[in-house]
Amino acid sequence: MKRMAWLKRTRGSLTAGTGDAAEFERLLREHVPALYRSAYRWTGTVDRAEDLVQQLLMRLYPRLPELRKLDRIRPWALRVMYRIFVDELRRERASPVEFGMDASADAEQDSGEGDAWLDTAPGPAELTEQELTQERVVRAWERLGEEHRAVLAMHDIEDYTLPELAQIMDIPLGTLKSRLHRARARLRELLTAERLAAADRV
Amino acid sequence: MKRKHETGPDVAEDDLQPLRRALRQMPTPEPRAGFVERALAQAAVQQRSSQVASLPGRLRNFVLRWETWAGAALGGAVAAALTLMLLRPVDTTVSPQQVALTLHEMRNVDVLIDSERELKGATIHIVASGSIALDGFDDERQIDWQADLDRGSNLLSLPVVARAAGKGRLVAVIEHEGRTRQVAIELSVVDPKA
Repeated sequence: MKRMAWLKRTRGSLTAGTGDAAEFERLLREHVPALYRSAYRWTGTVDRAEDLVQQLLMRLYPRLPELRKLDRIRPWALRVMYRIFVDELRRERASPVEFGMDASADAEQDSGEGDAWLDTAPGPAELTEQELTQERVVRAWERLGEEHRAVLAMHDIEDYTLPELAQIMDIPLGTLKSRLHRARARLRELLTAERLAAADRV
Repeated sequence: MKRKHETGPDVAEDDLQPLRRALRQMPTPEPRAGFVERALAQAAVQQRSSQVASLPGRLRNFVLRWETWAGAALGGAVAAALTLMLLRPVDTTVSPQQVALTLHEMRNVDVLIDSERELKGATIHIVASGSIALDGFDDERQIDWQADLDRGSNLLSLPVVARAAGKGRLVAVIEHEGRTRQVAIELSVVDPKA
């Protein structure tokens, strides 16, 4: 059903909507662009990012009383959006989401073994800044799995801390660290492949 | 805001910086024009639809099939009947003949227009008379604008304010390619102190 635009005049300006809808808009509007950018980084397409944000807003609207009480809406909304995202991946794969090939490594980390997430393996240092051209990074990012993109986007681009991310993704800290490590490792592989492909082209 | 990350020893952190910088410089588009507004509005409409869907029986399917009305005179009669159906889901406690407001009360009056086809550039006239006004338009009794109607249900939510005790009337007229349909809603405003 289409909601037809109704213009309400308030203090000389025109704003849309009244009542709960207006309050919902007031609370969420400033966060929607950032949530959209997250969704775009995770999904890699405009259409899927829009679908994800639309689903998020539909999920949040009935929870307006909870939204009113929040000090920080964005991490809370991001958590809900991540849950929708994971559920979609599960549906698409028609099986429980396994984050890449790393399910066993997650289990290993959860059991308390190792600190693989510390990133001591050779990798980004070998890729000089000159080699990290935007074109290569974008191509590698596009080839990265969606679940890897999500964790890298939130931690390495959007600056969420590990404890915040553990809450958003609803996973133990150890699992998160493993996942982050594997996502970076995979990205390095893809970037290295891009570098080699570029060398071949030359 | 730059935060310190818990990513391991400093050397590892240093190694990560070029990659992080590169990732942050990746182009990320802003939402397409109008997307934010549409998405927020759609969330509200979806919620309203859910509420309507929970209503019993025929109230759930109240529609205004103005494209199928036979003519202006008959259309008026049908409009009156449909007006009742339109209003009852909004406030099921009032008489179906009339909407009752208390003085200074603001209430959204919903008009649901079901069109059998997409209509580009329909003109919508809203006239508020008597004891009521449209919120934000106290000095303007008639408001006109153009809108596109989707095929199917289109919800128009009109914020009505009770300005004085007595009777009021809200008329919505929809015009497209020379065809006009109208719904009229009778309202009464009561001053509890009177």
